[in-house]
Amino acid sequence: MTNPTNPARGAVSSSARLFDTENLINPYPLYQELRDAGPVIWLEAYGLYMLPRYAETKQALEDWESFSSAGGVTMNDEMNEKLRGGLLCSDPPRHDALRKVIERPVTPKALSQLRNRVAEEAKELVIRLVEQGSFDAATELAQHLPVTIVSDLVGLPEKGRERMLAWAPANFDCFGPANSDRTKAAMPIVGEMVNYAFTQCVPGKLKPDGWAQMIWDAAERGEVSVEDAPFMMNDYMGPSLDTTIFATTWLVWLFAKHPDQWQKLRDNPALIPSAINEAVRLHSPIQNFSRYVAKDVEIGGVTLPAGSRVIIAYGSANRDERKWDNPTEFDILRRDSNDHLGFGHGEHNCVGKNLARLEIRALLTELLPRVERFELLEAQIFHNNILHGLQSCRVTVH
Amino acid sequence: MPKATYILPDGSKNTLAVPNGQSLMEAAIHNGLTAILGECGGSLACATCHCFVEDAPGPLPEISDHEDAMLDMTATDRTEQSRLSCQIIMSDALDGIVLRVPDEM
Repeated sequence: MTNPTNPARGAVSSSARLFDTENLINPYPLYQELRDAGPVIWLEAYGLYMLPRYAETKQALEDWESFSSAGGVTMNDEMNEKLRGGLLCSDPPRHDALRKVIERPVTPKALSQLRNRVAEEAKELVIRLVEQGSFDAATELAQHLPVTIVSDLVGLPEKGRERMLAWAPANFDCFGPANSDRTKAAMPIVGEMVNYAFTQCVPGKLKPDGWAQMIWDAAERGEVSVEDAPFMMNDYMGPSLDTTIFATTWLVWLFAKHPDQWQKLRDNPALIPSAINEAVRLHSPIQNFSRYVAKDVEIGGVTLPAGSRVIIAYGSANRDERKWDNPTEFDILRRDSNDHLGFGHGEHNCVGKNLARLEIRALLTELLPRVERFELLEAQIFHNNILHGLQSCRVTVH
Repeated sequence: MPKATYILPDGSKNTLAVPNGQSLMEAAIHNGLTAILGECGGSLACATCHCFVEDAPGPLPEISDHEDAMLDMTATDRTEQSRLSCQIIMSDALDGIVLRVPDEM
């Protein structure tokens, strides 16, 4: 792909450096500046377009024929080439075939079988942490279910699995622009993960009834090709950890900052889904992906040329003043919070979203009767090109 | 205000006054009926607001292709009476509607 050197007519040129550390730490002022500047931004620093507002983001995600994933969803050519043809980087009809296999264990029916097991595990954990009094929500609370239960369900070999919490965020760092230091530094770590997928995630080493083995079984039945199977391991490894972990941690952080909202949820635990949606809207664990412009397309009054690449900024769209009243406010009663794009939208909406919701619901359900309020002791932001989360969030519960 | 009755898995009946324009999933959530999970918040993405319509005083909205696909994946098998309650929007014509909430969501 060659990036055009001049932006399309009508696009607003900006020198904003979205992937510089200070903007990764707090991207929101920059997002607001870009949203106010126009619906289509040309980011000079990266040679990429960006759609900072809600309406255009949604439009692009609903039009896969123009805004293709098969041309890659990361911001650099090297990674797009590596991921080509995987679930994330494919269009229908190939995407439909892969997705059907990947989503089998996380359909509503399949998940309902998991609910009790996850609930029991969550209860044990929360009882222990509440007794402890103070804990790090980012690690002790939020990591437990994804790292123990989900990893066990996927059934990857123990050997090497402990590196998963380093691999998964490195994988997302590699989605950044080619000229970002973070992207370059993460590439070798992702190499380790790819090696693990090809050498360890194979029949005989996988748990026989696990989700990963189900991919090989599907390949044997001809539903996907055998060559696809190792790549599809990545679809369970990469996205099932930090995303859920960060959403959980942000909820605790938000409730510590907004005790009135915690009280509202204690008064009516049926509002848990709204609280989760509102947290994912306000602090979207995945901030940006991209799409390849497969044909000339008009959006926001600008004709984007075929061959260009555009950043889809979930984290910015989810705070667009044109869409949301008081967008920076955390309001679990917000009526349209389920319109958020934090789990994506359209063909590629998050496969694991219902699993994530199930895990987070289980934790909140056990915290609600046992915790009157969270006292925030200390929180530290995690640095990543794509992920936005807290690496520590120490609280005392009262 | 029109009313909707929810028969919960334990057999208890809850009758709620539901404002016109609100979905029967939202009404359940806002009134604390935790038997309806409504996990996705009304985006036709989770099938956890599945209900059996026991009595409908007026015509229900057509089942869209998307709802139809989700109903094929419900934890409790669908029947002729199955609907996702997020897709039933309250109106005067539906005053008195009765939903049964399945055991498994």
